[in-house]
Amino acid sequence: MIRRLTQLALLLLALDATLCQAEEESQEVTESRWRLGAAFGYGVRTNPLVQSDDIPIIVDVDIAWFGDHWFFDNGDLGLTFADSDALTASLVGRVNSDRVFFGNSDSRFVVFDLAGTALAEAVEFEVPDRDYAIELGVEMLTDGPWGALQLSAFHDVSGTHEGFELYADYSYGWRDQRLYIEPSIGASYKSADLNNYYWGVTDDEANVVVPPYEAGAGLNWHARLMVGYQLSRHWGLSLVTEYDRINDEAAASPIVKERDVLGYFAGVAYRF
Amino acid sequence: MRLLVTLALLLPALVLAEDQAGDDIRLTVKPVLCITDNRNPSCDMSFLVVWQSDNTGYYCLFNDFIDAPARCWSEERAGRLSDDRIVTESFSYWMTSSDPDSRLAEVTVEVLRMDSDDRRRRRRTRHVWDIN
Repeated sequence: MIRRLTQLALLLLALDATLCQAEEESQEVTESRWRLGAAFGYGVRTNPLVQSDDIPIIVDVDIAWFGDHWFFDNGDLGLTFADSDALTASLVGRVNSDRVFFGNSDSRFVVFDLAGTALAEAVEFEVPDRDYAIELGVEMLTDGPWGALQLSAFHDVSGTHEGFELYADYSYGWRDQRLYIEPSIGASYKSADLNNYYWGVTDDEANVVVPPYEAGAGLNWHARLMVGYQLSRHWGLSLVTEYDRINDEAAASPIVKERDVLGYFAGVAYRF
Repeated sequence: MRLLVTLALLLPALVLAEDQAGDDIRLTVKPVLCITDNRNPSCDMSFLVVWQSDNTGYYCLFNDFIDAPARCWSEERAGRLSDDRIVTESFSYWMTSSDPDSRLAEVTVEVLRMDSDDRRRRRRTRHVWDIN
């Protein structure tokens, strides 16, 4: 899938370059279309799933390309169809982010079920696997002296969860020369189909350890604080903390142990 | 013997060349980085320019804003200047001796624009981590 996405990205880059060649020739390009960087440090994002490990963050790679219409931003592919002083609107394809937690679960022998009741004998249990979903949606960006707002609506187009997500994020940044501070808050509405696919337990998956569970729609909340200090043109220090509160329906799932997902990262970042 | 005589004759010339080429000046400027964004499109800064040389002499400090020297020092081997400026683009300070075309030391003050006119560069992705 990654290879396909990469091939698609390269195709889009070539297409965009062809479409915009004439336009580019008449414009002075003052900003590189590429945004390349990497951050090295240490961070963790907690995993809300039972019997799962937190997600370590050692290196964060930033690869993005922004054409006049098409863009590629760390796995997201976009086509901008409206851009004005007030608003930028794009059609975006992406991979769902809920799947990431399911990659760090373990298989263990347990003697209690997930409700804490003793079992007659040890049973091997593993959190049910989930697939990545390809989602397509519309994203709107707007900003001003009041801050920046990002709104999006995505629907599954891969037949994985067949649900949708509505997302909103508001941020406001302060800069004092090298120091930059940006808090942000937001919410994400997840449809019942999406929520149930990732956080529900089907009858086939249920056993003596985990009962079946059907999740309905729910609203996630998140808050984030980013602090950056620019050391030089290319090097900077980054400190990020993030809090996600999983919606009630997902949090009530027997495969969820924590409804709060906490994350932090501190390190040095290099931007080319 | 002839070789020794030749070396003896050339030695003063070699030493003289080293002195001329090695008119070693250390030039420091603080700060050397100015960061701008959409809300603060320029930097109102006070630059402290400090220079020091191994040799006493005539030295001038130039910058990119004017053709004339910002200041000259005669029979000095060190000096400093406080320069208040509002800057929007990268520029340089440099030192010369009596020949204004020969730059003995140069320091560039970089203006780094952190914001982009392209909103998409500020979009938040939903990765495991995103520190853009």
